[in-house]
Amino acid sequence: MEDPLAGLRPDRDESTPVGFWAEHRFLLLIMMTLVISFMLVCVSLYMYTASGAIQLDLSRPGYQSVSNQVERESPITGFSASGSVTLETIDEFIELYDTQSEKAQAVDAYNGDPLNPELLEFND
Amino acid sequence: MIRRLLSLGTLILTATLAVFFSVTVANAQGPLSESQREEIRTNCTTIKNDISQLQASDALLRVNRGQVYESIRSSLMETFNTRLSNNNLDTRGLSVVTNRYGAALDDFRTNYQTYERQLTAALRIDCTEDPDGFHFAVENARTERATLNRTVARLHQVMDDYRNAVGDFRTNFARVAGEDS
Repeated sequence: MEDPLAGLRPDRDESTPVGFWAEHRFLLLIMMTLVISFMLVCVSLYMYTASGAIQLDLSRPGYQSVSNQVERESPITGFSASGSVTLETIDEFIELYDTQSEKAQAVDAYNGDPLNPELLEFND
Repeated sequence: MIRRLLSLGTLILTATLAVFFSVTVANAQGPLSESQREEIRTNCTTIKNDISQLQASDALLRVNRGQVYESIRSSLMETFNTRLSNNNLDTRGLSVVTNRYGAALDDFRTNYQTYERQLTAALRIDCTEDPDGFHFAVENARTERATLNRTVARLHQVMDDYRNAVGDFRTNFARVAGEDS
């Protein structure tokens, strides 16, 4: 049976030598894709580690027990960057600031000495 | 000239001695006794569990406190400064305090990273095999945690400074507004 698409196919000169990679272009494409993907994964993992994002990621193994305790809501709203400035707006801001500042300072984070060897290691 | 050279020499000598003695003091914490090593080996699993729990709760604290500290800067300090700027009011004093707060916040992030890495390094050490290495890694993490606590205290201090700066601004604003009216 005659090939109906024969006229559309480019003529190939059988006498011209074809290189190894030209013969295996699909294999080359797959390999290059894998190499580039691997490189991108390495770069993203490096950024994840070096930027400190890893330390904020509570979905890591060992952190599931606390991951549901993250405060997700935006804690501060209510003061706009636009508008006029009057004594009333300043007082409004001061009131809001005092409330939030008090909340922020209510926790003395990383206080105490839980890594004291007398408590941690030699407490027998 | 000779006096200057002498004072410079004294300064260098003092700095050298200070470094020497600080190293000596650090070493003076000394190696562990055999009974202490044995205690670490015996309690190795319990100690590591305690450290892991501390690591998780400190990570949660970092996330929650970090959000609050960041919001105070972006939603309050910067917003207020922008509003004053938009009204052509002098914000230099407030901007200086805001920048100090930003620097303290950067230190908070950096110090936490250092602390967390040190704690992770301690957890990677097999305390049954190397109790000394483990002990000193925990000591280093302890030092980093204390540094982190001091940074938090500094953040709180700068928060108060900003509040005082806003109070001063209000006083000046009321005076000027009173003169205008």
